[in-house]
Amino acid sequence: MAIFVDKDTNVLIQGITGRLATVQTRIMLDYKTKIVAGVTPGKGGQTQFGIPVYDSVQQAASKHRIDASVLYVPAPFVQDAAFEAIDAGIKFMVIVTDWVPLHSEIKIKAYAEYKDTRYIGPNTMGMMAPGQTSLGGVLATGVKPGGIAVVCRSGALSNEIPSRLAERGIKLSVVIGLGGDPVVGSRMLDVLKLLKEDEQTKGVLLVGEIGGTMEEEAAEYVKAHFNKQVVAFIAGRTAPRGKAMGHAGAMIMSGRGTAESKIKAFQLAGVPVARTLLEIPSLVKQMT
Amino acid sequence: MRLYEYEGKAIFQKYGIGIPRGILVRSGREAQRAAIEIGKEVVIKSQILAGGRGKAGGIKKAETPENAAKIVQEMLGTEVAGYKVNSLLVEEKLDIANELYMGITVDDKNGAPIAMICAEGGVEIEEVAKRRPGRIASNHINPLYDMRSYEAINLVRQIGLTGETLLSASKILTRLYNVFTAYDARIVEINPLVTTSEGAMIAADARCEIDDNSLFRHPEWRDLRIQHIDNPWEREGVKAGVNYVDLDGDIALMANSAGVAMSLLDIVNDEGGHPACFLDTGGALSKERMKNGIALLLRKTKADPHVKVILVYTSLVFSLPDTVAGGIIEAIKAEPADIPIILISGGEEKRRKQVQELLKYSRVKICPGVEKGVREAIGIARQKSRHGNIC
Repeated sequence: MAIFVDKDTNVLIQGITGRLATVQTRIMLDYKTKIVAGVTPGKGGQTQFGIPVYDSVQQAASKHRIDASVLYVPAPFVQDAAFEAIDAGIKFMVIVTDWVPLHSEIKIKAYAEYKDTRYIGPNTMGMMAPGQTSLGGVLATGVKPGGIAVVCRSGALSNEIPSRLAERGIKLSVVIGLGGDPVVGSRMLDVLKLLKEDEQTKGVLLVGEIGGTMEEEAAEYVKAHFNKQVVAFIAGRTAPRGKAMGHAGAMIMSGRGTAESKIKAFQLAGVPVARTLLEIPSLVKQMT
Repeated sequence: MRLYEYEGKAIFQKYGIGIPRGILVRSGREAQRAAIEIGKEVVIKSQILAGGRGKAGGIKKAETPENAAKIVQEMLGTEVAGYKVNSLLVEEKLDIANELYMGITVDDKNGAPIAMICAEGGVEIEEVAKRRPGRIASNHINPLYDMRSYEAINLVRQIGLTGETLLSASKILTRLYNVFTAYDARIVEINPLVTTSEGAMIAADARCEIDDNSLFRHPEWRDLRIQHIDNPWEREGVKAGVNYVDLDGDIALMANSAGVAMSLLDIVNDEGGHPACFLDTGGALSKERMKNGIALLLRKTKADPHVKVILVYTSLVFSLPDTVAGGIIEAIKAEPADIPIILISGGEEKRRKQVQELLKYSRVKICPGVEKGVREAIGIARQKSRHGNIC
């Protein structure tokens, strides 16, 4: 079994009749994802690609066993939609929606933690357990099941990089897009803790970017507790330095957040860091 | 969206946080009138969207209304810390007995708001935090509730405040938290929070930044957002609904994800190229946003002869071939420009072929791989600038 989901995961799509949801539901169905129901308030009783649509998550959950929900609900309504899934007892969410307000993100995070629901996103491409299931829009061309886990902050890189690895014959245990926003449901550290116990995963590729502190946090964990090989990449090494978020922001970061800080943290943890996107496959190849 | 000091202070006042008497002015005459109305020595503060104004010469004192008029006249139109001064705040000079720092932001690590208070105000807060950590205290707040009065008291007493000062400071902290939530702020800061010799606690400065993603909840600020962006192209970016960062090279970069945009930027820089900007459309691409992004880059290339080539990355997973190709065609139609466009398209082979088919009558060149696209763009930029030099 991969982490979070596997081939038997029953999936709900919230906001199933939206434009992006329509595109990605098709991708998921092609990957044989077990989509059992969809929700769009006001469209209960309709079907989408033969999938029954309900007015609420509670209604869908009363008719189907639901293990995970993928959310396409527009940003102004996504906080309610996430709370709805959490209240219906769903234990894993993929929040694809982007441009989500920060204050909605922190509320979703607090409520999910309180109710013991895990999630990835917002602003994620989703995740894929190769050969088993796919939640969201990960369409990594030619990816086959194997031992390498790919964990990305950025959305499009969660497609680009696995495709490149597949070209080199590298097989993957899981592809996870954590989401590109400052406050996301699962950080690298959370995923590493699960990957540590995952028998299928032999090595991990962490794809980070400038800003935030999750790479430094992950590097510390790898150094102290992780038992598998890790390689990393940081996007934005040559990007202009962002403005600090006041004194409060500067104090929280205390020098972390830059590409140099992240690369140094990984190097101190013995994690090789690819210089560019193009170097990633050969670095990962060394783990296999 | 960062607010000007005077805007932040108006919000503070609305939420019961004391501010100095002050008047916003845009001319020497207005300054003179303001100083007369205030009726005592004043401080004149340039309204720019940057910190460290004092050190950069953006804050001055005036003892008489005539002097205030003269200072304002001199400062209007000048640059302070790289920002043009269009307005200034004329404020009563406070009789300062003591200064604190107070701020609330989101800690990305816990994904929760964090409130901070420091027994010393001023510009060297980070240094205080390092050298005298006992002078500073912070605590996470559960975002599902308002800040409770006892949370504020427990935080404030950690820096040694007692009695009336403890009560005033904790009351201001809960009010500041109300501002933080009501305005969907990424950060709210009072630095310094002044105790006057009469014992009043007053916010001598205000830093507020509203989260751009929340502006649909704050229409009054959404309409003002454009005025809060200095770079004209970045202003265009906001109008087009994309993230745009202006740089000064010759290759205009665009991608449908920040991560890819930054990776492209790194590769272009490493290969010796010079990015002119990077534009991130966001993942859920519509034909409209694709069109707006390309059209913005075309306008930029027309206005800035340094830009020699446009390099675009789109993933065909989130986006249908018609969205990508259609958006490009519509943009070229709207903003015809004699500039090569290179399109790197990741994703399914089948969709890439469809894009190719749709764009076959355009001058857009399609590359399947990042390396090839980047090298192509750098090659064109170099060739065109050489050619330019010969002419």
